[in-house]
Amino acid sequence: MTAATLGRRSPPPSWLLGLAGLAGLVGIVELAPRAGLVDERYLPPFSAMAAALAEQAATAEFWRSLLETLRGWATGLAIAMVAGVALGLVIGGVPPLRAALNSTIEFLRPIPSVALIPLAVLLFGTDMRSTLLLVVYASFWQVLVQVLYGVRDVDPVARETARSYRFRPFTQVRTVIWPTALPYVMTGFRLGAAVALILEITGELIIGSPGLGRQIAVAQTSGAVAAMYALVIVVGLIGVTVNVAARATERRALRWHPSIRRDLAG
Amino acid sequence: MIKPRAALSAAVLLLALTACGGGQSAAPEPGSSASGALNPVKVSVIPILDVAPIYLGEQQGFFAAEGLKLEIVTAQGGAAIVPAVVSGQVDVGFSNFTSLILARSKGLPIKVVAPGVASTGVAGKDFGGVVVKAGSPIKSAADLAGKKVAVNTLNNINDTTVRASIRAAGGDAKNVSFTELAFPDMLAALDKGNVDAVQVVEPFLATAVKNGDRVVASNYVDTAPGLAIAGYFTSQQTAAGKADLIKRFTAAMLKSLRYATDNPDAVRQVLLKYTKIDAALTGSLTLPTFPTEVDRASLETLAKLATQDGLVESSPDLTELLP
Repeated sequence: MTAATLGRRSPPPSWLLGLAGLAGLVGIVELAPRAGLVDERYLPPFSAMAAALAEQAATAEFWRSLLETLRGWATGLAIAMVAGVALGLVIGGVPPLRAALNSTIEFLRPIPSVALIPLAVLLFGTDMRSTLLLVVYASFWQVLVQVLYGVRDVDPVARETARSYRFRPFTQVRTVIWPTALPYVMTGFRLGAAVALILEITGELIIGSPGLGRQIAVAQTSGAVAAMYALVIVVGLIGVTVNVAARATERRALRWHPSIRRDLAG
Repeated sequence: MIKPRAALSAAVLLLALTACGGGQSAAPEPGSSASGALNPVKVSVIPILDVAPIYLGEQQGFFAAEGLKLEIVTAQGGAAIVPAVVSGQVDVGFSNFTSLILARSKGLPIKVVAPGVASTGVAGKDFGGVVVKAGSPIKSAADLAGKKVAVNTLNNINDTTVRASIRAAGGDAKNVSFTELAFPDMLAALDKGNVDAVQVVEPFLATAVKNGDRVVASNYVDTAPGLAIAGYFTSQQTAAGKADLIKRFTAAMLKSLRYATDNPDAVRQVLLKYTKIDAALTGSLTLPTFPTEVDRASLETLAKLATQDGLVESSPDLTELLP
């Protein structure tokens, strides 16, 4: 982080290199089909994708789908965050409970969310709740496990001190556990945000719940290849935005923390 | 104490995004302006050419005229539709008849309530067919024996009708190797030579012809004249519990099918609304027939094929399945 910021003065700046990388990718996607390296019917040149994207962006359906995807992602992530943090603090704070649930968590956590698609369809049909179930399931474990690590990391001396001063449980959580756990919570948030987006798009694509994923599937079954790639590009851009926003949130929430504070680093 | 505030503001942002999205879906449908409350009817379909009449009927207000507020839910495949109908998540679903015969023979309580699509009955001018590359040695359905043919679902309507097509041409239907591929992937696989022939439906059939590929068999036409392919179905619980709703759905659906038959240009137009088929291509698509009666003979044929090819042990009671 620090290196990147300082690097601004010495050429070439890293953001420019990043842009050059992207431009290179665009150039390859434009030229490969034109040069006949790949079949234009199955991988159209970038300019055709951009034209299809402009066409999509002119429709109300595109913007509605975009909103539906963002809404599904945000709702799922919000539920997973609240549930993961609350349960993580409770389970982590009571050692016998944590010992009792450890094996259960380790059993449930690795189940791929997509394996739950048949169950979700049986429960909720093909509406957005099916996809929401997948999103919450996948991102919940990311958050919960991080919170559990965070709670375990609390300095025992600080914990004992709070106890001997007879802090009430809520005060203990607020002043001792939360500041220690927060970096872990933010890691869980960042991981959860990425996983939630993956499952949101997967659900829309496979189940057919409303959103950009479904639009990709409709473009595919319509044989509209350029439109399909255009929507895939949009989903990719959302992914980048989510990642950048999650990192920014993390930095902001943890600006007091030694791992982020620039005046301490280096 | 600034630190938790940033985390809190992130949470608020998430919730705000959630909330503003929620308001959007609560907006009233444009079609529900008719006086009095309309009864909602939820229909699950796959967004393909076959279901154009239901979108047309919605546009023309045929469902509102029957006092129905049509809610179309799209699914990516029949696999998701049957469970949704049986569990009552949706009132009506769209599926091909072989799938319904298979489901019925497994004891699923389903019932056909309206016809959907049928073959045009004209060889070489149907909405589905078997396609090979221009230079392929395969000249007729009989030549498919011993070749690798792609169908969208194994042990379903398309491989059984392709076999029927081969038998009709005097070929050895047992000796075909079918492989499963999604429709959008078929033409690329054919190009690369991964398969010898593909069974496609519109819009991929028109695309194939445009690419210079050759149609060697119209498998639906070869199976039976005017073969009924698919239709709308409900569960027996819904049929009994919401008998009036289903009756009105059937009435509106028949009106929609008739309208689609009379206005092929409107069908091509409405495709642009719910699919992403290239506007330049819609004119060259071969439209299916939209029948207004469920053809029992077609279902008997499909049930016979399903039994013959070992998809089911014995044909289910079609009277139970038919309206």
